[in-house]
Amino acid sequence: MTIAVLVVLIAPLLAGGLSLVVHRSAWLHGINLTSIGALVTAETVLTHMVLSDGPVLALGELVYLDALSTFILFIIGVVGLACSFYMRSYMDEQVARGVIAPSQLNQFFFLFHMFLLAMVIATIANSVGIQWVAIEATTLATTFLIAFWKRRESLEAGWKYLILCSVGISLALFGVVLLYYSSLHVLSDASQGLNVTALLPVADRLNPQVLKLAFIFILVGYGTKVGLVPMHSWLPDAYTEAPAPVVAMLAGVLEVVAAYAILRVRVIVDHAVPFAFAGELLTLLGFASLVTAAFFILIQHNYKRLFAYSSIEHMGIAMIGFGIGGPLGTFGGLFHLMNHALAKSMAFFAAGNIHRRFRTVEIEHVQGLAMAQPWTATALMISGLALSALPPFAAFPSEVQILTALASQGVPGMEFAGTSGMVTVALSDQFSRVALVSVFLIAAVLSFGGLLYRITGMVWGTPSEGIVCGERWTLGHLPIILLTVALIGFSVFLPQPIKELLEQATSILVVQ
Amino acid sequence: MQGLSSVGSQLVDLCSALLLLTCFAIVAQRRLSACVDLFALQSSFLVVTATLVAFLTGNQHIYIAAGLTGVIKVLIIPRVLKKVIDHLNVKRELVMHVNVPTGLLICGGLVMLAFFIAQPILPLGSLLTRDSLAIALAIVLIGLFTMIARQKAVSQLVGFLVLENGLFLGATAATYGMPLVVELGVFFDVLIATLIAGIYTNRLQDAFDSVDTDRLTVLKE
Repeated sequence: MTIAVLVVLIAPLLAGGLSLVVHRSAWLHGINLTSIGALVTAETVLTHMVLSDGPVLALGELVYLDALSTFILFIIGVVGLACSFYMRSYMDEQVARGVIAPSQLNQFFFLFHMFLLAMVIATIANSVGIQWVAIEATTLATTFLIAFWKRRESLEAGWKYLILCSVGISLALFGVVLLYYSSLHVLSDASQGLNVTALLPVADRLNPQVLKLAFIFILVGYGTKVGLVPMHSWLPDAYTEAPAPVVAMLAGVLEVVAAYAILRVRVIVDHAVPFAFAGELLTLLGFASLVTAAFFILIQHNYKRLFAYSSIEHMGIAMIGFGIGGPLGTFGGLFHLMNHALAKSMAFFAAGNIHRRFRTVEIEHVQGLAMAQPWTATALMISGLALSALPPFAAFPSEVQILTALASQGVPGMEFAGTSGMVTVALSDQFSRVALVSVFLIAAVLSFGGLLYRITGMVWGTPSEGIVCGERWTLGHLPIILLTVALIGFSVFLPQPIKELLEQATSILVVQ
Repeated sequence: MQGLSSVGSQLVDLCSALLLLTCFAIVAQRRLSACVDLFALQSSFLVVTATLVAFLTGNQHIYIAAGLTGVIKVLIIPRVLKKVIDHLNVKRELVMHVNVPTGLLICGGLVMLAFFIAQPILPLGSLLTRDSLAIALAIVLIGLFTMIARQKAVSQLVGFLVLENGLFLGATAATYGMPLVVELGVFFDVLIATLIAGIYTNRLQDAFDSVDTDRLTVLKE
């Protein structure tokens, strides 16, 4: 057990160290694939253990793994593996073309492994404080990855990302300090005061006032990292400028890890504060993200930004699920996080392929993708349909679950809105639910239309002069096929271990 | 003993107030290198506060945190920032989004806001460092304001560091320091963040021939 935990931590660390001294590109990729392979293997072992024996504490209570963190680790592993395959052809082409010097490949892989390591630590850390340190470390590791092409635009995107996320994260640290402040009066051993395992059993005795303030700071802080409106302004820029495999990791994994950090604290807060407090805040930010993103998707002319706003939209939808809570909303939210991670990494793989061939991010300059790059065109269509939450893709059931939860339960706390007489209360409750469901549906339909309209415009038509037609098979196509299989497969049949993980994770998040 | 603790509490309050005062000085200062000096001064007040808390409460590990603050925030980071400024072609903040008097007024308002927010949770704290949490929140807010009000990448960085100082004051004064592992991690992050931001400032200077973040407008809808 300890061995599996150690492998998960040491694999990226060792790979990062080796990447600095090895210079041959084939070796760098080999190290990368080996380390991510080891990570996925260890992760599978851990999943098996957590499912059979329950939560795992390791390394002197520094590491805590329950179904929720194992589920997040699973997403990290899958998307990381897909990215590693994709990077093989992507990075080599950039070197061959002279965009980056061969020596810069070392830096790239070093930063990539550090990014991976930080996310793994953030997921398995028992202490909320160490989790904070790891999430700030992801910011530091990725800022140079975002600015990797060193153009003026990428420097701008990297700087914005560094400053906005660091500030956001600092606010989250204040929240962590407040959480610790509240635990001091309850726990006898102060050094345990930030551990989830120590806080959860005494959570109902923590001071509600302090916890409320702590949650607001943490939500705003990590919400910046998730890319929730109104803290999202760094996200479209960073997603446009970063290399495609990095964006796939940012959109597929980093957002999920940041959302996970919010959920961890939220469970503690829910024990001491009425459920409606955190639920309302999450739903509010979720709706703000959903509606704003839908609007920006409609007016978008840059396909990478299009996918960036679609990320904001889907994280908003997941937050609505968590905000409504209950078994249905929470399950839907977690399931949606996974589906979005798979679909979005695939979308950015396709976007990376398009950008390499057409050398533009403007939608109107890309035409005839079906002739120029048939594989990529198929991948783009599939990811577009999956992101629009159409059947038979897995995002459809998860979005329907969240919508059902919204329609049946409504937003927590809303039923207290009306005060005069029972009839008014019942009416206003009914009314607010109908209104929210329609807002949700309208935003979803708008973004569905916007997304598919832009994408089909790129796929059909004839490619302009000078665009090479035909697509050679590369290793980068393998993850695209596997992700398609997963996206379609998960909608009809959820494999038993994943289903159990999701169910147990849901029961961890639902208080009572 | 009673006397010692009441004197101690007053001393901690005094030091926290001095930290807050340097914040105002930073907001009022236009010269970049002077801002960095003021930040170093503020960090040394922070060292004194942390040492006082460590001495009065007998928590040994706060000494370590205080020592690290001294090395990293009083010595290393100001040096790095001075080097960065030497590389720049502008030494002063010429255009500010908010002028100095208005900025100071806004900061005064932020302090009141911080005390207002922190009021309900202050009675929970121990007698020794009760007001420091509110002061820490005020410093965090002023740091945030500095980052918004200033244009130069370097002054935004100073704003970020002031914000971090506020957080550290909060952690030390209100909770007698977080667990040591966490505190070490935070120091590591702050140090790396400053180095990275320094490298960025140089690259921005080379690419845009300026460190005005207002020039960063290529990316927009």
